[in-house]
Amino acid sequence: MLELRNVTVSYGPVVAVKDVSLKVEKSSITTILGANGSGKTSLLHAIVGLNKIVAGEILFEGERIDKLEAHEIVRRGLVLCPDNRMVFQKMTVLENLQAGAYLRREDLSKDFDLVFTLFPRLKERLKQRAGTLSGGERQMLAIARSLMAKPKLLMLDEPSTGLAPNLVSEIMRAIKKINESGVTILLVEQSAYAALKISHYGYVLQTGRLVMEGPSERLMKDSSVVESYLGGR
Amino acid sequence: MFLNRLILGLSTGSFYSLAAMGIVLIFKVTGLMNFAYGNMAMFMAYVTYTFVSLGLGAWSALVLTLLVSMLFGYAVERFTLRPLRKLSHGSMLIVTFGLLMILEGLATQIWGTQYKSLPELIAGRPLIFRGDFGIVVFRRQDLLLFAVLAAVSFLMFLLYRFTKVGIAIRAVSENEKAAQLMGIDPNKVISWSWMVGTAIGTMVAVLGAPRTYVSPTMMIYYQIQGFTAAVLGGFDSLFGALCGGLALGVIENLIGGYISNELKTTLSLAIIVGILLVRPQGLFGSEEIRRV
Repeated sequence: MLELRNVTVSYGPVVAVKDVSLKVEKSSITTILGANGSGKTSLLHAIVGLNKIVAGEILFEGERIDKLEAHEIVRRGLVLCPDNRMVFQKMTVLENLQAGAYLRREDLSKDFDLVFTLFPRLKERLKQRAGTLSGGERQMLAIARSLMAKPKLLMLDEPSTGLAPNLVSEIMRAIKKINESGVTILLVEQSAYAALKISHYGYVLQTGRLVMEGPSERLMKDSSVVESYLGGR
Repeated sequence: MFLNRLILGLSTGSFYSLAAMGIVLIFKVTGLMNFAYGNMAMFMAYVTYTFVSLGLGAWSALVLTLLVSMLFGYAVERFTLRPLRKLSHGSMLIVTFGLLMILEGLATQIWGTQYKSLPELIAGRPLIFRGDFGIVVFRRQDLLLFAVLAAVSFLMFLLYRFTKVGIAIRAVSENEKAAQLMGIDPNKVISWSWMVGTAIGTMVAVLGAPRTYVSPTMMIYYQIQGFTAAVLGGFDSLFGALCGGLALGVIENLIGGYISNELKTTLSLAIIVGILLVRPQGLFGSEEIRRV
């Protein structure tokens, strides 16, 4: 569904992502693991058009999208859920969700229902400003807001960062449910164990290059992955 | 006496409020203080003058000018500022300075240095009320001004709170990247705010023309006081701009009436410096949001 061919991203002379090729299959959950500074966010921003790539091709549903503007890419159903600091803090929860549905013209009541079943807490806080939410609630809001755009492929940028372990599993369960409802997922994470547990296929990104890939179960058993990302479990 | 001073202050203040709202609208979305704001409006007042001298009625001239001003605002942003957007904020500021001077020169070249006059949109004798409170005088043009200010504020409020365009404006002004991730095209929102902002400025120039006459420097004072009003209101709040402008107008006129007409600008600005020392974020500026 999404394919990257030899993609390179750089900021001036600084190369953030080098020669990355990867595939995300339809209706799967694919994970990209990487430590801080490995180029995860740069890669996601490049896919969604916030950064321009300097070499390579990005294809979504068989068509090249790397020359398109971000808002055109979102219109095609490729949506990025950024980290939770990027919710609109001065707007209420409801307004954030409405912003997420900016491109939709149809009736949204089903989408609101779906989002509130996944995250009942948001319903209680509908009129509250997003800036006053806790980290976990903001993360839920960020995901919910992306869902309002009705994505075909949803990319998530480190949804577990800064959250308590029980919240991490709550978020991961939600991501799994979203996937089961028919949305393809590309999950980019530091917290490797939680991410691999729900995903089908994984890649490992190190200083801007992909160093390893394979089915998630195999990666979970791989000694070098275990050592670098799973805390030696 | 006091009531009339107050009314006079509110009418001056309405000009400041409108000017401030246009400045703030453009600032919120573009993050840019548009120094050419006043002179763009001045230029549009000359356009109205031209329409009127071609034989158009004052009202049709105004409507036509508002349409022209929207095109003008769009073109200025699209062709002089957008190409620089990704490069540097400083050069965008310099461009607006350049426009300020170019427009002043151009107006002098085309229309000469002699002051022109525009008719009042509503002519007629002022309305006079007598009662226990004394004699209160309303100029008809002032009533129109209040109505315009109320209408503009109300429309902006509706737009902001209840429409997709409003959501898009607020999203872009808060976090442009996040807004793009929602499928919002920031360029569209920016164009839109320049069009509306310029039209509001034009309103100030045309409504103010019967007082100031149409001249290359007619908008300088409104630009400065509009800016001051915006700062007083918090600079990122349209409601703040509205209140800041009215407050500034009233303060200025009360000082002018009771203390000294020569010192009214100096003293009113001194008061504002005082207010900002106590509340640096302005009257309605957004403070940092804290978690409850």
